[in-house]
Amino acid sequence: MTAPTTTPATARTVPHRTATTVLALAVPLVLTAVTVVVALSWRGDLPDPVAVHWGVDGPDGAGSAAGFVWSSAITAAILAVGGWALAFFSGHAATTRRLGAGFSLGFAGFMSALVLGTLGVQRGVPDWTQAPSVDGVVLLTVLAGVLLAALGAALTPGDVRAPTTARVPDDAARLPLGADERAGWVQHIRSRGVLVVAPVVLVPVVLVAVILKAPTVLVPAVLVLTLLVASMASFTVTVDGRGLSVRSGLGWPRQVVPLDEVVRAEVVHVRPFHDFGGWGYRVGRGGRVGIVVRTGEGLLVERTGGRSLVVTVDDAATAAALLNTLADRSRVA
Amino acid sequence: MLLRIDPTSAEPLFAQLAAQVRASVARGDLTPGTRLPAARDLAAALEINLHTVLRAYQDLRDEGLIELRRGRGAVVSEHAALDYAPLRAALAEVVRTSRSLGLAPETTTALLKDAFTEEPTR
Repeated sequence: MTAPTTTPATARTVPHRTATTVLALAVPLVLTAVTVVVALSWRGDLPDPVAVHWGVDGPDGAGSAAGFVWSSAITAAILAVGGWALAFFSGHAATTRRLGAGFSLGFAGFMSALVLGTLGVQRGVPDWTQAPSVDGVVLLTVLAGVLLAALGAALTPGDVRAPTTARVPDDAARLPLGADERAGWVQHIRSRGVLVVAPVVLVPVVLVAVILKAPTVLVPAVLVLTLLVASMASFTVTVDGRGLSVRSGLGWPRQVVPLDEVVRAEVVHVRPFHDFGGWGYRVGRGGRVGIVVRTGEGLLVERTGGRSLVVTVDDAATAAALLNTLADRSRVA
Repeated sequence: MLLRIDPTSAEPLFAQLAAQVRASVARGDLTPGTRLPAARDLAAALEINLHTVLRAYQDLRDEGLIELRRGRGAVVSEHAALDYAPLRAALAEVVRTSRSLGLAPETTTALLKDAFTEEPTR
């Protein structure tokens, strides 16, 4: 992540840095440290080496317990620092902070459950080749990751209302609108890419899970992936007297920019991979939030507090001009 | 799509909405298969009654311009945009003739309205 891109300076400091540091750094690191201490305290009960990899017919790879514990812990710590840095330095928007905290905590939970689960089932086992199945552990690991990620996101403090009374810059596009006129702009986005990607992602997951005879992993994984894919498939974008709203057909994800938090709106050319590292509901360069379903025309809304939002949508020029006009009108009144 | 209303205008709100959709279809801005905003979303965006939007959509459906489908909402119908090219050409001719006669636009539109009332079949 690079430094924030140009935004008019209205409270450029990233808010809630203490909460971010606690949630995205301190808690994941403490959790990881406790995991290391507990796991290493079990060393007397564990086979040496321990099983660290399982195939279809049971354990098929072994390694030293300490090596497994430490490499997992270091991975969790590095990911935690990454998630924390995103939220700490680029977390102008609550969405970005939630992503950072969720990422850090989720991976810490995942790694802890992985280490404690795989070693826990081997306590008292004389030799690694006799290690029991880890189907339950895999499920527990995924659940721990998802739950802690959700918890981190939920505990992250949201954005406080940051209304502005400053006029929209004169060089931003406007739309002729009579004093008595009301205007609304509604546009649907349907992601054709999702419909292509969905089978490409889901079919291998199902195949692999069936081949490995691992229905415990299959069910939640397919459910989560299906929900995620479905949530990105269609959006309704609205610009009206309330501001900008981008809402998934499923209700989530959802982004709302109240009219009095609009600094300016404009049309941008969006390159999903370059700007956001991919497609979907994303956080991109400088903590910019994106709902990005295709390459091309998009609406960029710069928001108070150094936040910004990008939506790939057709007829973005009309949307930007209307949003600027309505924002301005609400401030003159 | 962008829709606007003027609550102070004498023209009813549903008629204002319907007229804009008609004009967009005639201009080719709205192509067959395009989804119109969900009535609920549009009503909320313009701060008007849901039934006002539904009334506009029903009128447009009765004219064959849109189809209302359960679950898919209002969609511009396949044949909506077909017959406009000859009409546009004829209108261009009307405008040209009107200008060459030095008539005010209001006179021409009044004549056009008269022509419709003389031939009330649609």
